[in-house]
Amino acid sequence: MDEVEPVAIVNRSPVVAQMPPPPVDDWVSRLRDDVHRHEATRELHQLMLRAARHQIARMPEGRDLGWARREEIVHAAADEATSSVLSRLGRFEGRSRFTTWAYKFAILQTAVEVRRSAWRQRETDLEALGEPVSDATGPEAYAESSDLTRAMREAIDHALTDHQRHVAIALLVEGVPIDVLAERLGSTRNSLYKTLHDARVRLRDDLTTRGYLGFATSEEAVS
Amino acid sequence: MNERARGLTPAAAERLLVDPGPYLSCDDCFEQVDARVEALLSGASEPLTPEFRGHLVGCAACLDEAWSLAELAAQDAGVDRASVRARFEQALEPDRRPLA
Repeated sequence: MDEVEPVAIVNRSPVVAQMPPPPVDDWVSRLRDDVHRHEATRELHQLMLRAARHQIARMPEGRDLGWARREEIVHAAADEATSSVLSRLGRFEGRSRFTTWAYKFAILQTAVEVRRSAWRQRETDLEALGEPVSDATGPEAYAESSDLTRAMREAIDHALTDHQRHVAIALLVEGVPIDVLAERLGSTRNSLYKTLHDARVRLRDDLTTRGYLGFATSEEAVS
Repeated sequence: MNERARGLTPAAAERLLVDPGPYLSCDDCFEQVDARVEALLSGASEPLTPEFRGHLVGCAACLDEAWSLAELAAQDAGVDRASVRARFEQALEPDRRPLA
């Protein structure tokens, strides 16, 4: 058998060396280019660090975490965001600047971890959050009650499912961040937001029917 | 006393009563947020769709992250922070106020 000439194997180095480098702002090309990938990835990581630091600095929850923990979160988020961006390069469609598109991954990673870290030590009896609220007694409850608030309590108890009540009270009354609640319930941010959306529609419909609101959700009017 | 009842302040009731508008998931919000934010910064007349605006007003986490992204993108575009805030608040109005 004749030896096969390795025509498919080409020494690309001289060719690559003759080609002009991609423009500095052509992130996708640089991150895919054999020659420029390493430097571009390093720059991307710096970009992700910047976004992570920006996000953690604007979150009140981050201030009590301590410098070391904040730095840990920033670097972990930047690492994770860099990986996320690199694995999704094919999905970048140029609808925004590459940097704006990439920032959002670092912002998300940082925000989620700060919320979870801030709530890690807080005890919240999530199991009790599905209890009825309209049978409340005590001066504070009555002092805060307008007709609408009293009607709201009734609607929460009668118009919502147990799960909707649990999620709505945790997120909007107790102030549990959605990422924290998702983690503790073994759920997802998407799923909890859908539950909250449906709960709000039910509450508005109930209060509209009973004459407390002038209009229900705008969902039907728009879609 | 029931702790949930104590927490059901008028502010909490207002958060519960936010008009959520047409449904948009958090994942879809994330997919769109970079383009929407840049539309906002460019001064587009209708930068946010009803679905996107409704989601931001109804989801405090997505609102915070979108706002943060807008600040960063504004720095790159040379837009000052006060202008970003003004544009954001204007885009979320007139029908709703943000949660955070």
